[in-house]
Amino acid sequence: MKRILVIDDAATVRLYHRGILESAGFEVTEAVNGIEALERVAEAPFDLYLVDVNMPKLDGYGFLRELRAKDLPQAPAIMVSTEAGANDQKLAYLTGANLYLVKPVRPGRLLSHVHTLLGMTPSSEGRTS
Amino acid sequence: MNPLLDQFLSEGRDFLQSIGERLLQLEEAPGDSALMNELFRLVHTLKGNSGLFDLPEMTRVLHAAEDLMDAVRDGRIPFDRPLADCLLEAMDFVATLIDEIAEAPGDAPPSTAHHASDALRLGETLRSLLQDRARSADGADPAEEEPPAPPERPEAGASDARPSALDPIDLPEPLRADLIRRLEAGGSFCWLRYEPEEECFFKGEDPVHQMLQLGDPLWCRLESREDWPPLAELDAYRCLLRFEAILDTTPERLAEHFRYVPDQVRFEPLSQEILTAATAAEGGPASTSDRAFSAEAEWSFDLVLEAQREILALSDTPPWLDGRLRAVAASLSAAFASVGRESEIEGLEPALQAAIETRSPTPLFAWLAARHPQPHAGRATAPDDDTGGGSDRIAAAPAPGEPTSISSSDPEESIRFGRRAEDQLTSPRTLKVDQVKIDRLMNLIGEMVVAKNALPYLAGRAEEVFGVRELAREIKAQYGVINRIAEEMQDAIMQVRMMPVSFVFQRFPRLVRDIAHKLGKEVRLVMEGESTEADKNIIEALADPLVHIVRNSLDHGLETPEARQAAGKPREGRLSILARQESDRVLIEIADDGSGIDPDRIRRKAYERGLIDEAELERLTDQEAINLVFAAGFSTAEQVSDLSGRGVGMDVVRNAIARVNGSIDLRSQVGRGTTLRLSLPLSMAVTNVMIVESAGQRFGVPMDAVAETVRVARSDIRTIKRRRTTMLRGRLIPLLALNDLLALDAEQIANDDDELAVLVVRVDQEYLGIVVDDCRETIDIILKPLAGFLGGLTGYAGSALLGDGSVLLVFNPRELI
Repeated sequence: MKRILVIDDAATVRLYHRGILESAGFEVTEAVNGIEALERVAEAPFDLYLVDVNMPKLDGYGFLRELRAKDLPQAPAIMVSTEAGANDQKLAYLTGANLYLVKPVRPGRLLSHVHTLLGMTPSSEGRTS
Repeated sequence: MNPLLDQFLSEGRDFLQSIGERLLQLEEAPGDSALMNELFRLVHTLKGNSGLFDLPEMTRVLHAAEDLMDAVRDGRIPFDRPLADCLLEAMDFVATLIDEIAEAPGDAPPSTAHHASDALRLGETLRSLLQDRARSADGADPAEEEPPAPPERPEAGASDARPSALDPIDLPEPLRADLIRRLEAGGSFCWLRYEPEEECFFKGEDPVHQMLQLGDPLWCRLESREDWPPLAELDAYRCLLRFEAILDTTPERLAEHFRYVPDQVRFEPLSQEILTAATAAEGGPASTSDRAFSAEAEWSFDLVLEAQREILALSDTPPWLDGRLRAVAASLSAAFASVGRESEIEGLEPALQAAIETRSPTPLFAWLAARHPQPHAGRATAPDDDTGGGSDRIAAAPAPGEPTSISSSDPEESIRFGRRAEDQLTSPRTLKVDQVKIDRLMNLIGEMVVAKNALPYLAGRAEEVFGVRELAREIKAQYGVINRIAEEMQDAIMQVRMMPVSFVFQRFPRLVRDIAHKLGKEVRLVMEGESTEADKNIIEALADPLVHIVRNSLDHGLETPEARQAAGKPREGRLSILARQESDRVLIEIADDGSGIDPDRIRRKAYERGLIDEAELERLTDQEAINLVFAAGFSTAEQVSDLSGRGVGMDVVRNAIARVNGSIDLRSQVGRGTTLRLSLPLSMAVTNVMIVESAGQRFGVPMDAVAETVRVARSDIRTIKRRRTTMLRGRLIPLLALNDLLALDAEQIANDDDELAVLVVRVDQEYLGIVVDDCRETIDIILKPLAGFLGGLTGYAGSALLGDGSVLLVFNPRELI
């Protein structure tokens, strides 16, 4: 089962993402900020990261920088932001995100991207179970 | 209007134009696969774009059109005329919607729900075309298609979805496992889908009650068959529900339960295969939701690749570059795997190693560029709600925290859309500018041209009133400079306003095709000189008259194939529309090789209608008779067809052309055809007028209309049939006094030799003398049409400001007389 780390300081958002991802059969771990996320990564790396931008202690950019600097298998990361500006997107790419989505992300869209970034074909068992 | 919608509308019109052109081209070359792909792409993109807004009617029709084009592109159904007709009609419908939306005030697109029935009808027509053709194609080539599974994708929205559409994604994992266990233990369950018809409430049905009667389901889902409209437009009496359930019951009982609505339910005994349908779907026909998923997947694929390309284009080298590159490689690898292109992943790893060694993304960038050259414009657009919405809704159900993100407000999409629009702008280095802005600039320049004319007056006053000759000279010198700049500006703005006649011509292939088709005629349209340019006003004024002329040609000029054959002509008629520039005029020639105009018939008709008397009937030359078609209220059509109609005749055409100082010339030979020549000025922004005086006032007359000015001795004026006339070089010229025409209460003033100033004007090849008090100089003016209350005064072509600040009224001889 693919493991996804959802990093967001807002409980509602974490719940929202967890609901979507779990209903599609993914194993979801939560972290409330970058520091906690790095601790989770240290325990075991994930297959995909869903990263919020603004968080206390260590924000999404900081987390991605730290993550990408680690000598670990590097999994794709989706940055989810409320900002739609081109600069915000570029900053996300600079720090190590692989996809930049603007909130609110519709469940179907999110799943579609998650499947793509996890290499699951539309009809493969992996995608749908 | 909000910029995104604005962009969508203007882009949408371009798309429709291109789609129309491609469709017509495809008719000529039905096998051109590049054309077909292009057409599909256009329809697909337009549909995708429409999905960004809450425009269900438009999206519905476009979606059906897209499916149809998809089938054509794949060679599953042939491209032919009825199909093209259908698609063209669909595009016309979309154009209507776009126009309606563009005209509506406010930021959000207005509801187009009143077109819902049209949309439904069009959508169904397109779909039935697809089904019929697919069936007949199957029937025609039974050898080619294996019986069980023609690899044809079922249309989205078709309700014959097999239970395999009960995708395992929909079922909570624990329940699925539980069900499989209970099935193995010998339990029997049914899968049910119930889609009550929209009008069910009016038939005394109660779908919810029906479902409740079935007892507690093991699993149940209730969803809307389409996106909910905004609350204000919600029609609560339309049932759009879809029930799905897994029940501990038998198919027989369900059949009994739903016996009154058998066409609205589907059910099937639950089996392990259905529960693990994903693997089964591989071999069987692809299900509806698979289709949706694959569209989503492809779109995601494009989006992810585009993002990686952007990341690889970054030029910084931070300490975490390695990790970033690895993550990109991982994303690329996954993305290719997600669309079944695993085989292409080899080579990625070496590229990644090379990139890490050189601390540069270039090797990866090259790898990507080789495999995915340029993201396709159409692909980068979001799939619409019909294909993608299904999965959205399913997953949305258990997520209570989801904000109501209906397509139009999704910022994720708006950004992408905006970026795409920019990309398009960069390719042709042109700027799309609102016409209003150009008009404003043009008016301002016009005012400056007039304002600068005050300088010579000023110089004159400086010298004569204040006696400073030096200053007067300087003012004059400066005037020369300003004058030159003003003239150049004027020339520049004229260039900007120039438009090719193709703006008008481009609609003709379609128009001719449709009309010819309707009339059962075969017509070959030849167009030349589409790039000939003229001022925007001229081109715009040309549009309606030209359409009318072309319709006339098709309706009355060209004969049916049979009649042509009988007359020894080729079955296919020929209609040519040519444009060319000749000095400062644009000439447009519309010629057909049809039956021509019979002067005798015209004479007879004109006589019957009282347009000419018996004497004229005898006297009129053939050419004069033919020109009678321009007379008001003349129509030779034996039958009024729905094409040319009644009421709008050639007189309207002639007047429209005359309004922009154009002229029209008609030549026709019986049995050989008819040729109409329009001659129009290149530009009407600057008008050369002659200033005349009458009753102490100054008026302008367009020089185009002035043939000559003469002095006529009062003694040479005779009254014939109560009209004053004079002889001018052997020709009898009727005379009219300007004061009478303008209802000015004054006698025309003669000069000291008792001669009257006469302005000889030419109106429709006829000469006429207008008696004025005096003829003065000619000047260039910027003619502005009369606006507001004065707009209704037909006798005037407009007004202009003179250099001394006074207003000059310019009259229009044709209307005045």
